[in-house]
Amino acid sequence: MTTTRFSPLLISRLLTQPSRVFADLAGTRPNAAEVFFKLAIWLGCLPPLFAYIGASHFGWHLGAGTPLIVPKPVLAGISFAYFLTLLFGFVTTALVSQWMAATYGARLSLGIHMALITIVGAPLAIGSIMHLYPHVFLNVLVLVPTLIWSMYLLYRGLPVVLRIDPQRGMLMASALVAYLLVAAVSLLGLTAMLWIHGIGPRVGY
Amino acid sequence: MGALGLHKKLEENTGLLIFGILVVASIGGLVQVLPSLFQESLRTPTENTLPYGALELAGRDIYIREGCSTCHSQQIRPLLAEVERYGAYSRAGEFAYDRPFLWGSKRTGPDLHRIGGKYTDVWHRLHLTDPRAVVPASIMPAYPWLAERQANASEDIERKLRGLRILGHPYSDEEIAAASSVLEGRSELDALVAYLQQLGTAFQPGDQP
Amino acid sequence: MCAGVYVAAELVWPTIDFGQPWLSFGRLRTLHTNVVVFGFGVPALMATGFYSVQRTSHVPLFMPRLAWFVCYAWQAAILLGGLSLLAGVNASKEYAELEWPFDIAITVVWLSFAVVFFGTIATRKVKQIYISNWFYGGLIIVIAMLHVVNSAALPVTLTKSYSLYPGAQDAIVQWWYGHNAVGFLLTGGFLGMLYYFLPKQADRPIWSYRLSIIAFWAFTYSYIWAGPHHLHYNAVPEWVQSLGMVMSLILLAPSWATMINGIMTVSGAWEKLRSDPAMKFIVLSLAFYGLATFEGPMMAIRSVNVVSHFTDWTIGHVHSGALGWNALITFGTFYFLVPRLVGAELYSRRLANVHFWLALAGIMLYLLAMWAAGVSQGLLWLSLDELGELRFGFRDIMASMAPYYVLRFLAGVIFLAGAALMAINLWLTMSGRATRKVRPPAPVGTA
Repeated sequence: MTTTRFSPLLISRLLTQPSRVFADLAGTRPNAAEVFFKLAIWLGCLPPLFAYIGASHFGWHLGAGTPLIVPKPVLAGISFAYFLTLLFGFVTTALVSQWMAATYGARLSLGIHMALITIVGAPLAIGSIMHLYPHVFLNVLVLVPTLIWSMYLLYRGLPVVLRIDPQRGMLMASALVAYLLVAAVSLLGLTAMLWIHGIGPRVGY
Repeated sequence: MGALGLHKKLEENTGLLIFGILVVASIGGLVQVLPSLFQESLRTPTENTLPYGALELAGRDIYIREGCSTCHSQQIRPLLAEVERYGAYSRAGEFAYDRPFLWGSKRTGPDLHRIGGKYTDVWHRLHLTDPRAVVPASIMPAYPWLAERQANASEDIERKLRGLRILGHPYSDEEIAAASSVLEGRSELDALVAYLQQLGTAFQPGDQP
Repeated sequence: MCAGVYVAAELVWPTIDFGQPWLSFGRLRTLHTNVVVFGFGVPALMATGFYSVQRTSHVPLFMPRLAWFVCYAWQAAILLGGLSLLAGVNASKEYAELEWPFDIAITVVWLSFAVVFFGTIATRKVKQIYISNWFYGGLIIVIAMLHVVNSAALPVTLTKSYSLYPGAQDAIVQWWYGHNAVGFLLTGGFLGMLYYFLPKQADRPIWSYRLSIIAFWAFTYSYIWAGPHHLHYNAVPEWVQSLGMVMSLILLAPSWATMINGIMTVSGAWEKLRSDPAMKFIVLSLAFYGLATFEGPMMAIRSVNVVSHFTDWTIGHVHSGALGWNALITFGTFYFLVPRLVGAELYSRRLANVHFWLALAGIMLYLLAMWAAGVSQGLLWLSLDELGELRFGFRDIMASMAPYYVLRFLAGVIFLAGAALMAINLWLTMSGRATRKVRPPAPVGTA
């Protein structure tokens, strides 16, 4: 198979031709830095940016009563933390995926794992445009189906991109999903713990 | 091969396996649960906590029947915001006469441990018959049948009080004999409201324990 | 499951009980929890237990007539018990709401279950007792112990009893029971299912025998202590709460050890997925098992529990386990088992694949809606303003949960639709084909 260059523009066809996107990606041999600086970092910018704009204009709508207005410098800090968390998530998930690759006979380069995770996560980054109106429920309404779509892309794309049998791909994708679920719930737990220890909204504990 | 060899014995003997499981699974309960059953402070009523009167007991049993615990808790935690919202946090001694306990595990609706006296009887009657009449956004089900049923329809209040007395609740013979007449002419709604209106009222800050 | 979807709908449209006591949320929700655990979960365990104990012992069931009694009597008890719950006959202790006549009835049936199961093992023609049987055995023994102790009550009428334990003591006993019902029934029993059906489907032995031994005993020992994490900041002694929390964290290790055992067993058997939709369900169930057994210990940590207790986060956690682990592994096992028992291929693999995606979508939607709702509730309930006063009224917080309850209802409908497809698929597989008796394998050589 001819080696093609990794291009961030791959994500433009993700909605319409996901199979082609994955087939093309399978033919690339990106290095991790390339994926990180050409795509991951830009996708990672979007949610914090949208969140900052939305929260500073409209305030956070948690659903109960008046919206929460947070001072701009604090919002900027939170957005930056969000950005760092997303990048951390991209990179660690790719590392976990690379770690699992040996068990499933998949490709071992960190770059291809980063590319897979970044591309599969792209719909969520783009869907984060909902943060422009930071109403929790509306965000849930848009981002949950987007998440399910991303999960579907993971199952479809992983075997193709990592060049393993579809069945092995299914197993590896499920293992990755397990990891992601645990990471998500850890984030929830960590958030709750931070609030209780004073970092975050004022709570009467 | 020591431990593994020992384990082989367990794997080859049904009786040993059953015994092993029973012993290992019992340890937690023996250490954690059993001592609590002998801890007097966990079942000594606070100063002003009294056994339920006939009408209140009938009301409590209706609360149980209708599954109110599935949406309402009766346990105020010692957290600042919780105490601000609901009142003094719940002490173990307040539940000395609660069989079974009704602490709940979910708050779809608010905690009810100190609801007693917070709303009028009329409010409760309206609310139970049609929640949305007093709280428009409420998702609580309506209980219109409570007003139409007699509190002592099954005529078992004396048996209930007698049973509770066997379990240690101090009811006098007179109380038990008078129980049916206390419920005479009262609806289930009356009973439930009576129960709700006394919830949490017996405790004063500073009460022992 | 239909009852579950109905109560989810009642939380969105509270008037759909039409003023009928038997459709009222309080009663219907109690029906839902009892029927999914005792009407779906237990029969699944009895069926798979009776099947696998024969295969692993190389003998037919001990006292087969008693086994039939267990089957029919259990179904009858749960059916009648369910109806009694709708009638308001309710002991009000979670997952133990059935009143004393049913408590006695199910004890009798359970003892019969024990006799058949352990009798089969005792008369086996294979020297060693296979590990799946330890888990089913643990299920039987521990549930019996929990049930008998927790249900202790003084009957006052045919339909009413009063708990032997008062107040705070009742709470401690109840959650010793309640948590371990989850532990030994919904976790342990289904691990028994996993340990038999996974290697069977994968056609490979369990990855690590040693790990399974350590995990089993650590699991059996530590689970029992975890009950008090349901009672954080409640009126029970602090040492009981703390012990519950610590043991809940320790419990993570044996839970995950078993999950890893399963994942490593199946990772070498990927060709099986080609032809077998059943395996997909079991593999995904392991992912949710990992989630639920991680989330549980995490929610048992005091500072997380401050936010999560009494909220919809707990409900989300329950369903990640109940739908993601229990339901999925049962679906997978039955997609495997039914064609074998019937002597025919699964009617439609395509339908099973559609079911898989519906199940996954339903679970994810349920989970995320409940996480969002639960964390919001927890935070909003605790929120104070600059003056230290409550920022939000309970009613406002309650009202803002409405959209999440709509999503949860939809999630339930999606999940139920998938389950309906399975029912149709299995029905079509079974109809028109003669059911054949599946004989236990003959012992190889001498035992």
